[in-house]
Amino acid sequence: MKKNITSSPQSATSGRKKTTSRFVILADRLADRIITIGGILVIFVVLGIMVFLVKETYPLFVGGIETDTHNYSVPRPDSEILTMGLDDNKTMACILLKNGLVRIFHAKTGGPLPPPILSFKNKISSFGGSIDQNHIAFGFADGTVRTAQVKFESQVIALENLPQNLKKLDERDSTDGLSVFSQIPGNQYRKVTFKITTQDPVKVSPNDNAIIALDYRIGGETEKKTQVFAAVDKDQNIILSKIKSRVNLLTGKKRATVKTISLPKLPDNLQVHSVLLTEKADMVLVADKNGTVYRFNTHNFKSPFLAETTRLLSSDNQLTTIGFLAGEQSLVVGGTDSSLDIYFFIHNETGETSDGKNLVKARSYNAGRSSVTEFTPVQRGKSFAVARKNGDASVIHATSEKTLLDFSIGKNIKSAGIALTPRVDGFLTICDNGTVILKEFLAPHPEITFSTIFEKVWYEGYPEPTYTWQSSAGSDDYEPKLSLIPLIFGSVKAAFYSLLFAVPIAILGAIYTSEFLGVKTKNIVKPTMEMMASIPSVVLGFIAALILAPLVETWIAAVLVTFVVVPVFLVIGSLLWQLLPQHIALQLDGTPKIMLIALTVVAALFAAENFGRLFEQLFFSGNFKAWVNHDIGDGRGLLFLMAMPLSMTFTSLFMFGYLRNFLARLTSGFTQVQAAIFDIVKLLFIAVIAAFISFGIAWIADILGLDARNGILGAYVQRNTLIVGFAMGFAVIPIIYTIAEDALTAVPNHLRAASLGCGATPWQTAIWIVMPTAASGIFSAIMIGMGRAVGETMIVVMAAGNTPLLDWNIFNGLRALSATIAVELPEAVKEGTLYRVLFLAGLVLFAITFVINTIAELVRLKYRKQTAML
Amino acid sequence: MNSLKLKPKQKQRSPGNVFSGSKGINLASKGEKYLWSMGGALIIGLIMIAAFLLLILVNGLKTFYPGPVHRVTLTDNRVIAGEPFRREKISQDQTLETSREDTCSAWRTLYKTGNFDLYNKDFRWVDEQDIKQISEPKDIFYIERTEWGPFIGYIHELNLNHETFFFSRERLSQLKKEHKAAQARRNILKDLKKKEMGSINHELDNLRLSLKRVELDHGKDSVRYKTTLDSLSAKRKKLEENYGEIADKIEIIIKKDAKYSVVLKDVSGIEKRVNISDIIRFYPANNLTLSQKTGIYISRWIEFLTAEPREANIEGGVMPAIFGTFAMTLLMVIIVAPLGVMASLYLKEYAKQGKLVSMVRICVNNLAGVPSIVYGAFGLGFFAYCVGTTVDRIFFPEYLPNPVYGTGGILWAALTLALLTLPVVIVATEEALAAVPQSLREGSLACGASKWQTIKNIVLPNALPGIMTGLILAMARGAGEVAPLMLVGVVKLAPDLPVDTIFPFIHPERSFMHLGFHIFDVGFQSRNAEAGKPMVFVTTLLLISLIGLMNAFAIHIRSRMKKKYSVGQ
Repeated sequence: MKKNITSSPQSATSGRKKTTSRFVILADRLADRIITIGGILVIFVVLGIMVFLVKETYPLFVGGIETDTHNYSVPRPDSEILTMGLDDNKTMACILLKNGLVRIFHAKTGGPLPPPILSFKNKISSFGGSIDQNHIAFGFADGTVRTAQVKFESQVIALENLPQNLKKLDERDSTDGLSVFSQIPGNQYRKVTFKITTQDPVKVSPNDNAIIALDYRIGGETEKKTQVFAAVDKDQNIILSKIKSRVNLLTGKKRATVKTISLPKLPDNLQVHSVLLTEKADMVLVADKNGTVYRFNTHNFKSPFLAETTRLLSSDNQLTTIGFLAGEQSLVVGGTDSSLDIYFFIHNETGETSDGKNLVKARSYNAGRSSVTEFTPVQRGKSFAVARKNGDASVIHATSEKTLLDFSIGKNIKSAGIALTPRVDGFLTICDNGTVILKEFLAPHPEITFSTIFEKVWYEGYPEPTYTWQSSAGSDDYEPKLSLIPLIFGSVKAAFYSLLFAVPIAILGAIYTSEFLGVKTKNIVKPTMEMMASIPSVVLGFIAALILAPLVETWIAAVLVTFVVVPVFLVIGSLLWQLLPQHIALQLDGTPKIMLIALTVVAALFAAENFGRLFEQLFFSGNFKAWVNHDIGDGRGLLFLMAMPLSMTFTSLFMFGYLRNFLARLTSGFTQVQAAIFDIVKLLFIAVIAAFISFGIAWIADILGLDARNGILGAYVQRNTLIVGFAMGFAVIPIIYTIAEDALTAVPNHLRAASLGCGATPWQTAIWIVMPTAASGIFSAIMIGMGRAVGETMIVVMAAGNTPLLDWNIFNGLRALSATIAVELPEAVKEGTLYRVLFLAGLVLFAITFVINTIAELVRLKYRKQTAML
Repeated sequence: MNSLKLKPKQKQRSPGNVFSGSKGINLASKGEKYLWSMGGALIIGLIMIAAFLLLILVNGLKTFYPGPVHRVTLTDNRVIAGEPFRREKISQDQTLETSREDTCSAWRTLYKTGNFDLYNKDFRWVDEQDIKQISEPKDIFYIERTEWGPFIGYIHELNLNHETFFFSRERLSQLKKEHKAAQARRNILKDLKKKEMGSINHELDNLRLSLKRVELDHGKDSVRYKTTLDSLSAKRKKLEENYGEIADKIEIIIKKDAKYSVVLKDVSGIEKRVNISDIIRFYPANNLTLSQKTGIYISRWIEFLTAEPREANIEGGVMPAIFGTFAMTLLMVIIVAPLGVMASLYLKEYAKQGKLVSMVRICVNNLAGVPSIVYGAFGLGFFAYCVGTTVDRIFFPEYLPNPVYGTGGILWAALTLALLTLPVVIVATEEALAAVPQSLREGSLACGASKWQTIKNIVLPNALPGIMTGLILAMARGAGEVAPLMLVGVVKLAPDLPVDTIFPFIHPERSFMHLGFHIFDVGFQSRNAEAGKPMVFVTTLLLISLIGLMNAFAIHIRSRMKKKYSVGQ
């Protein structure tokens, strides 16, 4: 280093060439470039985190995107369309017509494929089927019903097994006349074949009347299938039949038992629009054409009863469509007034219906458009497709009300049938004139909109709209509920309670350290407190959850009494200290004093352990956990405790306000010891008065029905916010303490000197001079601590119980944003909805902490400028 | 300025506190009550940290010390044996449950009874009122096994190569000899299984992958594919033969192991046969001298530090976790050091100091406060899923659909933590650069040095201690972080270390174990939280001492640097 510096003048004086060596210039330029580009790049990369988070969450809020449209004509359907099908990969479409014919064609070009022949002897009079339309049933004019299974069989075959002489349909697909072969990546082909198998007819109508409405479900396991159908015949008989078929494991023979019951008769003027049945066969709905719905409870198969009769449309309107969504928890109803509503089956014990359930309108999709003529739900999930009278067609997600596809088939061209792929990425419609439109679209996150994440959503089975986070569950029909509000609330709750604990300790500790401790003690104390910051949070979480939580649960009363006993002991300690003669007090100031304080705190902790029982007896009827759970006692004990500090402040203010002159006259000649004793008397006096006032307040509040147990306190669970707050204190206290202490120390010493010189005591100097000067620094310390508390992960993962709740109960758990990300992201499907929502949670967390930190930083900068001027 | 204005305000108020016209003493002006509450707050903070460290230290250090084994006869004449583990006062709730009257001085003891295979639990609470008698029999043994946790009981008989002896004290040395031999066999077995079989498996896998690669590049019908297929199948045959040989060797050892066993008997008389090779350590718990106890203590520590975990991580060692933590932290520092120094050099020495730079500085400061889990999510989404899958598609198509880099791994974890600690390093380095006196720079420039020469020879060497401090603090933070690692590649049990003897020796794509995650895993996901606790305490002690050491080192460097400058200026 030195060599370098000295070498350059040497070279200058010795007359060698004065030009700088090219290597040096090159190195300088290179370093310049690399550092500039690299530095800017690093900073951009760091800022890029936010960009990436936004990029990952953006697709959540995008609606459906149309990717392709196929438009062609097929021979016009010569009879009413019963149902349509479209396979997963949009290769094949089928149409079932009322005249008993089946039509199959290539979905993208309309190229006809040979259909299977259904040889029905009778005229089809009605039709019904499961939500996925794989199990269908035909009702006939002679009162019989035939069930059938419809399937698009899909199978992957290698190139070698591809049959010869295929006819090309388009660039991807070809056919051998029966199946469609599509090329897929990896030199393989997918073979799709349409299969329909019909079963023998079953006699349903007792009088051989034509079946006019029919619904059919299949349930149970493959070996023990249960087929159920609900049918209405011409005479308005409503029949529910159950067919149980069992395969004998030894002989392989099938045995079927049919059980049929008649549901209670409905009024004669009934004009049946349709009948609906659930998979569990516990409910049958009969819909009148005028919109009246008769709900039968068939939970007990032997004794069905009419549970509810309700009109779902306003008067003068006719029903145009009615059907279940997947899961059979919501009913979609369309009327001639172009309404489209969703009804839920809600439990309410008002007694309006005989089984405690009600049909309640949950949502309306009335876009003021024309009435819905065709409706089809998707197999899984809550999406459905509709076609309207004016030729509009759309695909909508029921819960989020997000429009996934919306287009016009043609002005006032009526759709005769619609079909939706199971993956909700293809929509096929056929019109009366034979025009077919296949829309391919992408809607990867249909269930998410801004309002499903941040607003209340009314989910199926819930009595009202709620904020709910429930990302996974066992069943298939389950709808993930992804509201971030409970998680944000959890993070805020954890941060709030931990700051409630940490801020007083950190700030008061910092003031004491900076203003009242000697340099030597401070040099030990400060690094010790800072050491707390380097404890990994996983350790804190472990200690909190496995050591502290059970301990606190057992000794909860002692823990609570600590919050009372420690301040009381400190006040007593200070009163006793005042009794010390001045010269001794001055001698003991500094380290001995802090030692005495430490002793007091330790004594208080020991006392708290022993006072626990007494405290519990006095205020909480002897058992805190039972008390807080509303099992025993009333709220007065706690109300008294809460009113106590308030009334103490009030009383002392009163004394200073009104009795100041009197007191001043009284104490004017006192010596220090006398004054100290008087101080004790005064405090006792205040305490007694305050106790009376508090008791009165508690008594009145109790009469008014106030009880803290309904708000900040409630049922006790082991891993709760108290534990989290305490553990998080370890993480937050050192941060707040260090920054606040730095801010206090940075207050220029001449301010202190001036104040003390004017005759102020150290306490007055600290509180009126140093504190206001350092206030912005202290504020920024608290903000930074808050930022840390909001984002802390391991402690909340381990000690918070992870239940997404929305209450302030300090004895209950919580689920924080950060914990949810840590727990659920590793298992979330890449680029799936949950994955993106969790990234959104990350973005929210990022935003919260960014705002908090920026405020802190700006305040700190301002403070720095301010102190620089002093 | 604001605070100067405050002074007169204070003067206005002070008559309120000082009683006007009186000579008497004014206690309120001293604020003694408030002083005590402030001091109390500080003390509570200090007590918290002291209690915390003491808890970790005591629990961590005592775990491996062999305690006595009590034989407890209960009032109902049942007998249990176990190591007294913890003693506590029965609280009110528990007495309410058992509906006892004499609550005040009731104590209960948690005994570690072991013998999980016999009792289905490792621990048992015993109320002290129920105890009739406690004795410490000299012949009771504490036997650590490879499976089912420890066995506490008597050694009943020895089966040595078809010969059966009843156990007595004279046989102890014989048993020790056999144990040593059995342990040697176990090590050989482990080597055979892990190293030899592992490498054959690895080679077989490579063969399959290279074949797939050829298939992907040239197609199944190509000549190349067929020739490769032929040559590979020859190789595979040979490997499979080797594999068979090793399997035979293993078979022989296992058969031999089965011939040497002991029959153990618990205090209630249930017998249990255990192969000597399955015993890790055994000692007569109540018949040990201090030096023997120390020996066991040390050997347990050595096992903890050097062995691999057993029994779902609640026993054995944490060597892979130590290694993983070190490797990841080292990799992180290698990544973060140049980036952080470059960025701060740019900010301090090259960029024009203006609004933009101060805004960038606010942003960087801010990023230090962004929760680590956000970085973790970013690491998973960007490094593993975005970059990783691209790397896989281009370089490792034959592995698909199994990800190589497309999932969490030590490289991605190190990169994520590097990002996380980058703000820390930038801030620290900037401070260190700012601390280098401007006069030094000016002197260097005046002597004709170029800017880069000045930075390289004057600024950086002087700022080095500060930069080092920043890096060490970053390391300490990185070593203690768990949350982001849970997303980017930490696992509860990694089959292989990220560095081993298989080409290319360093495997940055592998997932790894981490001390912090080990704590989380053992504390929360073991079959019995109580059984895992001692292990967690020891691991915690290790992790905290590691981090404490790093911090102490950083503080040391910082103080040395301070001294240097106070002299220099």
